[in-house]
Amino acid sequence: MKTTCKTIMLVEDDEVDAMTVRRALKELHVNNPLARAENGEEALAYLRQPGQIMPCLILLDLNMPVMGGIEFLQVAKRDAALKRIPVVVLTTSEEQQDKVASFDLGAAGYIRKPVDYRQFVEAVRAIDTYWTLSELPQ
Amino acid sequence: MLIADSTGRIVLANTPSEALFGYTRAELLALSVESLIPPRFRADHVTQRQGYAAHPGSRLMGGGLELYGLRKGGSEFAADVSLSPLDDGYVLATVHDITRRKRAEEALAGQSARLAAIVETAVDAIITIDERGIVDSFNPAAERLFGYAPAEVLGKNISVLMPPPYREAHDGYLAHYLATGEKRVIGLGREVVAQRKDGTTFPMLLAVSEMRVGNRRMFTGIVHDITLRKQAEERQVRLIHELESANEELKSFAYVVSHDLKAPLRAIGSLADWISTDQSEKLDAEGKEHLRLLIQRTRRMDSLIDGILQYSRVGRVREAVVVVDVNEIVKEALAMLAPPPHIRIEVAPNLPTVRAERTRILQLFQNLLSNAIKYLDKPEGLIRVDCVGHDREWEFSVSDNGPGIETRHFKRIFQLFQTLAPKDRVESTGVGLSLVKKIVEMYDGRVWIESQPGAGSTFFFTLPRGGTNQQEQLH
Repeated sequence: MKTTCKTIMLVEDDEVDAMTVRRALKELHVNNPLARAENGEEALAYLRQPGQIMPCLILLDLNMPVMGGIEFLQVAKRDAALKRIPVVVLTTSEEQQDKVASFDLGAAGYIRKPVDYRQFVEAVRAIDTYWTLSELPQ
Repeated sequence: MLIADSTGRIVLANTPSEALFGYTRAELLALSVESLIPPRFRADHVTQRQGYAAHPGSRLMGGGLELYGLRKGGSEFAADVSLSPLDDGYVLATVHDITRRKRAEEALAGQSARLAAIVETAVDAIITIDERGIVDSFNPAAERLFGYAPAEVLGKNISVLMPPPYREAHDGYLAHYLATGEKRVIGLGREVVAQRKDGTTFPMLLAVSEMRVGNRRMFTGIVHDITLRKQAEERQVRLIHELESANEELKSFAYVVSHDLKAPLRAIGSLADWISTDQSEKLDAEGKEHLRLLIQRTRRMDSLIDGILQYSRVGRVREAVVVVDVNEIVKEALAMLAPPPHIRIEVAPNLPTVRAERTRILQLFQNLLSNAIKYLDKPEGLIRVDCVGHDREWEFSVSDNGPGIETRHFKRIFQLFQTLAPKDRVESTGVGLSLVKKIVEMYDGRVWIESQPGAGSTFFFTLPRGGTNQQEQLH
């Protein structure tokens, strides 16, 4: 990550998937604090807290209870305060319609969660590398 | 023409009477008129003749009775006889042979009886009405169908056989037709609802024809009860609907289940990986081996689920049908598969183009080529891609010099999840060939194999020339 002090937000309902991301980040020495929400609604509530410092990246699952990832994007990308936070979709779905909807709604990337942990680490490494290089608006 | 005297003796006979009765004139002049009628009428005739002599006058003989003449040879013929009195008790009898007229009358009567019998015994209800809609005839089938005796409907308006609102409207329909000649039912068949005497209704097929009897205009309605057909149709519609939704459910089932299986599988894989990493020092060699196998199996299950997803996607997810250049497709598939250097790949030049979903055609070649490469067991491998053009289809083939397949397995290899090699030796999900079959059959093609164990296999499949039926669905 470009800024090491800013939070990475993980929107993910599955406990082990959350552990996996956490572990992979740790393994890659990505030391940004991680904020986790279990669904889109929780994530919005977190982001909209008064005085909240915005995360530098949101990792978003699509298939979640209460409010799924696509719905979250629909709301977040219309919210002037949230729309510039890059969102990388991290999901099991390889359905064309999910990919189309995600990019239509301004997702910065779309990565399928590999079943193999080692590959998962490689996916997170790629995310980290990219967002270390990429500039972000202040 | 004969003239007889008052005793009945024939005194004059003309030439036609010789032909009519078969006697010569001389013979006739020796006979009495009674000799010219069958014996059974003779006694009466004598009496009648005497009566005529008492009250002579020109009239038809017999007064409506059937008369017969007797020929010389003994044969009879139907006759009309008119009598005219002459002077001195002589009577002029004019005799006509009416056999032909009689036959025609009999034929007519027979024909009417047959027609009546057809109407009486018809399975369908036959009802005639006049131009005011008044019932003129009502056959037994109509009685059975509507539950009315003829007496109850004859002379009534046909509309009693219809439920509202048709009942009220029928006079209007009839008046409209008579006024404009615009046909709505007449001359055509139409499905309408009818009402029985007990008030229940039923669907029927009504055919109405128009006829003129003398100067009257009549309408004949033939009514066929279609209750059973309607029920069968409704049942069919319901069954098709059920089948469609079951099929729809099945299609999405494979997809949803596969998706939901992936999350726990990923968790198992990750947790096993962490145990083997984190607990590395505490685990002995056997424990590590078990964890390795566990992780390997999660990968295998992952490819199985991917296979199901791919399989369920064919036909469920539709891509645009485009012109696909098979030369490019084969090149692309080979680039993805990167065959090892000991395998030589020969691709026939000038492969055709087909109209299809690009991904599906790519999947066809990818799977067939991947199998050929994966199982090749010779130090010098050879794989050949070819195509033969037939009248209506292209016949593609992918052949190899691999291990070959025994004939008894030919069916099995195209079934989902069926493999021939143990999974530990060759990683295979058993989806590839079933996917090939599903895709080919979606395009109305066929797929088959020819093989010689030890010498190699050739997989053939056909695709229609100049397009697939999916084309029409899209445009």
